[in-house]
Amino acid sequence: MTARLHERVRRMRERALIRAWEYRQRAYSKGVWFRLRRVLVDAERAFSIPEGDADQLESEGQQPLAVGHELSPAKRIFFVRREQLLKLDAVELPVRLTAPPLQATSVVLVAHGVDRPRRVSSAASRHSIPRCTSSGNVTGRLPYGQAHA
Amino acid sequence: MEFRTRLLETLRAVRSVLNEPGVLVGGSEVPNLLEIDARSSLVVSEDVDIVVPVDSHDGVKRALQSVVGFQQSAEEPSVWLPQRPELIEVNFIGMDSGPRAGETYVFEDAALPLLVFGNLCLLRPGKPVHVEDLVIPVPRPAGLLAEKLLTDRSGDKGDRDLLVVMGLLLVSEPADLDELVTLYQSLAPDQRYSIRSNLGILSLLEPRSQMPDPVPHRARLAKLMARFERADAT
Repeated sequence: MTARLHERVRRMRERALIRAWEYRQRAYSKGVWFRLRRVLVDAERAFSIPEGDADQLESEGQQPLAVGHELSPAKRIFFVRREQLLKLDAVELPVRLTAPPLQATSVVLVAHGVDRPRRVSSAASRHSIPRCTSSGNVTGRLPYGQAHA
Repeated sequence: MEFRTRLLETLRAVRSVLNEPGVLVGGSEVPNLLEIDARSSLVVSEDVDIVVPVDSHDGVKRALQSVVGFQQSAEEPSVWLPQRPELIEVNFIGMDSGPRAGETYVFEDAALPLLVFGNLCLLRPGKPVHVEDLVIPVPRPAGLLAEKLLTDRSGDKGDRDLLVVMGLLLVSEPADLDELVTLYQSLAPDQRYSIRSNLGILSLLEPRSQMPDPVPHRARLAKLMARFERADAT
């Protein structure tokens, strides 16, 4: 009667072993996706830029992030200030691990603004989960009270 | 019949079980229950997890004798299948806060064997949800957040489960997040790494229909990530 339960336990223990292995590998190549995601977590927006713009950023002393050099082909990934964007021929990318950001060879990221999100009281935000409709619109009250981007 | 009605009708049907000490409703239905009037707007699977502490197993078995409207699955004995359309599946899962806390194992029993999930030991009873005539025991958000961020997942089901984490975060108070960070600090390094990894994945997920959209809340997720990292550094 419990054979299936035992099989599930076996599979879960296997996954736990894999998790421990991934943790041990975190400083090596296997950990690069974690590090890339970690960089993107801090990015509010991402843009592809031409190689010339990336050269210009480097010549101005901007250091590309190390994680970009761990990928093949290598990428130059920079965090830039919003005002720096104005000087770049930047094309916006989704901040996701999807094809467009992965295909771009030079990427600039803009960190989440210190002035955003605007916080409202936690009491006002409680118990209302905004969610996407099938059309992509958002229903419900946004807990931070900001307009949906 | 709308999902909320079926969820509440199911919980009404197993009320005697919910009255047993330490029993909790767990899993993806918790954020649904924590919405205003248990509005249940998130699209999740049509089942409800009942978390059974192994110490309360005997009491739960006795309480189950008075439950009607379900038939125990022959193939998955911890799953009770609805016999009426107004009910949903009930999945009994085990929690061990005793000497075997953190271990995943099969709790053998002829009538109600349980798969005891190690990560469920992170759950603590929270403020019960009062809706209609029901008092529904639910876990504190912090433990459930940690448990859901720790569980290995993949594919669409994994993404949806992470969006349920988003839903939970949106109904969490600042004190819940403080508790989550404290709980995080108590975990093993590989577990903390998994939590940060899954939080990163959540931050980069595409919006899904009828699920919380992480995009407008990415700054909030980044702040939580930074808090975890600061906790690691101390």
